[in-house]
Amino acid sequence: MPDLPGKQEKLTVIAERVEAPPRPEAKLRRDSHTRRMARVGWAMSTPALVFVGLVTIFPIAFSFVLSFSNVVVSGSGFALENPTFGNYSELFHSSVWRYSLAFTIFYTVVTVLVEVVLGTMIALVVERLTKGRGLMMSLLLLPWSMITVISAELWQYIFEGTYGVLQAIFQAVGLGSPVFLGTPTSAVVAMMVADIWKTTPFVAVIVVAGLVMLPGEIFEAASVDGASGWTTFFKITLPLLRPTIAIAVLFRILQAFGLFDLPFVLTGGGPGTATTSLAILSYKVMFEDIAYGPGAAVAVSATLLVILGSLAFLKVFRSQVGREDVQ
Amino acid sequence: MASILLEKVGKVYPNGYRAVENLDLEIAEGEFLVLVGPSGCGKTTVLRMIAGLEEISTGDLKIGGAVVNDLEPKDRDVAMVFQNYALYPHMTVAENIGFALKLRKLPKEEVRRKVEEAAEILGLSEWLDRKPKQLSGGQRQRVAMGRAIVRSPKAFLMDEPLSNLDAKLRVKMRSEVRRIQERLGVATVYVTHDQVEAMTMGDRVAVMRDGVLQQCDTPQQLYDHPVNQFVGAFIGSPAMNLYEAKLGPDATVISLGSQTLRIPESTFARRPALRGFAGRMVTVGIRPEDLSVAIPGGPTDGSLITEVQLLEALGSEMMVHFSIDANLVTEEAAAEEEEDILVHKGEGVARVAPDLTVRTGETLMLQVAMERIHFFDPETTWAIW
Repeated sequence: MPDLPGKQEKLTVIAERVEAPPRPEAKLRRDSHTRRMARVGWAMSTPALVFVGLVTIFPIAFSFVLSFSNVVVSGSGFALENPTFGNYSELFHSSVWRYSLAFTIFYTVVTVLVEVVLGTMIALVVERLTKGRGLMMSLLLLPWSMITVISAELWQYIFEGTYGVLQAIFQAVGLGSPVFLGTPTSAVVAMMVADIWKTTPFVAVIVVAGLVMLPGEIFEAASVDGASGWTTFFKITLPLLRPTIAIAVLFRILQAFGLFDLPFVLTGGGPGTATTSLAILSYKVMFEDIAYGPGAAVAVSATLLVILGSLAFLKVFRSQVGREDVQ
Repeated sequence: MASILLEKVGKVYPNGYRAVENLDLEIAEGEFLVLVGPSGCGKTTVLRMIAGLEEISTGDLKIGGAVVNDLEPKDRDVAMVFQNYALYPHMTVAENIGFALKLRKLPKEEVRRKVEEAAEILGLSEWLDRKPKQLSGGQRQRVAMGRAIVRSPKAFLMDEPLSNLDAKLRVKMRSEVRRIQERLGVATVYVTHDQVEAMTMGDRVAVMRDGVLQQCDTPQQLYDHPVNQFVGAFIGSPAMNLYEAKLGPDATVISLGSQTLRIPESTFARRPALRGFAGRMVTVGIRPEDLSVAIPGGPTDGSLITEVQLLEALGSEMMVHFSIDANLVTEEAAAEEEEDILVHKGEGVARVAPDLTVRTGETLMLQVAMERIHFFDPETTWAIW
């Protein structure tokens, strides 16, 4: 995780408590008391660990196994036969998968970029509010706090082709009656708009938190040093916000790459395959085509890609940010 | 280089609070002026108004002869050193120092040369590639200084720049800052709440209280001729002992509680107004260093019999906390809050030679340097001259 002063420290502290790794000196003189306490600790956390294992680790491991198996589905259930790479080779040769991958990456890059730029702009305004900042923050969080399926339904009403709100507005202004969800390009754009509407506030709130933590004296020093508003923003504010923005971007990449509920409700992945994200593709292959092996392969490939992407992002960002801190 | 002139400058906050009132002050070219006063006296506000970080409500501010009231900080060509240094955490020491030059679009080579020069003066040459976080408090402080001096500005503004350093380093940096300022010859306004810092560093010291300038003079003048009780009590450490006293009917003696001191004739020559207070109450100020241990059998008309409450041996001198039966006058605004709690009621302090053998609870005769004691009008608190 990139450096976010303060916050990171807290996280590490919590992590230490949960895992409680034995410190070297404790290891040396580990008396029966420590061992007994450790046993009690394990005994108490076992139910939780078992639960987490069942609902998280088992499904992940199982889909991993599925992706390498020839799954035979019959009336009485399904059986795993012959370990195989077939699912993956099928994947790499499938133009639908390649399109889904490209679409998901494109969608992630565009929405995250717009959300970060807009979110930062909103944050800069909100942070300067002297009155009603709390109210503004609450209002901002409304779209974010809405369940995606519900907001997707709302956007469905807005974009709807016959009696949708947007349609009516376009007609009233005299811009004709475009079909928002009916053509590939407009469907992708419409979905991005819905996503940006919902998620920009999330970025804004994180950036406001980051802004509030910056010491005011630095900005005064910059103005005495002769920096204009723009210079201050690009040379001081933005570099200091980098760790904060990095965290927001990371969260957003992880979320956007798993894009599912918005296209599921809004477009069903269509028109055609225009808005078929990797998650939608995996769902369709698994539960509509009843092809468990290839479906699992899509899911596993998406997971691996997002992990690799995040690691690469972290590496780049960490080296850029360095270990700087606000004094 | 330029002078700074404040003409009837005032600051009123939107909530009606008057932080600074009608301030007239001139800082000459190359002068080191210290603004001192207890917290909340408006000294930092004055500094921030000069910097342009705070709007000026009334009056005019001139830097180098031109009115700059409405200029942005960046256009005033002044450099400021902040209390918490306000270094840019994401920049190296060199980038921090060179930031202002870079903004002025100076050629890279020149920026580098100037930064290296400044680093040389401040002993930062080997730290130029470090980030502020990797430096000690003293080094950070010097980077903040470097950022100011590299620009050769019209004026330096320093806001308690040494207050975050430990005592030893602070003493060292005091002379360091002074030396650099003298070398560069730039008008400097230095804000502090520490009167020792003010006295040791300032060409002149301006004492403020509740937004009003009390006195602006050389350190020695402030010490010798405080205009009022506040300045008297604020300047000098330990603080001046203030007692309620009554002048005799012919003004030749003064009673502190049950004891009487004879006022030498020379005092009236310097304070002619004192005669007008004959038979009336006055406030007497005796500095701890104007008290000494009386020689047994010596003259007693200028000495006080005291009871020793506490002894503090400092090696080079001894602080004697004593009590007499006169009422102590507290100048609350001058004392710092923590100090207030520690000072016991009715206790005075004398600074005497360390070779004292007296013990707590014993009686000690203290000789008062009568020609050096101060008199204040208890009603107005102004000095009686």
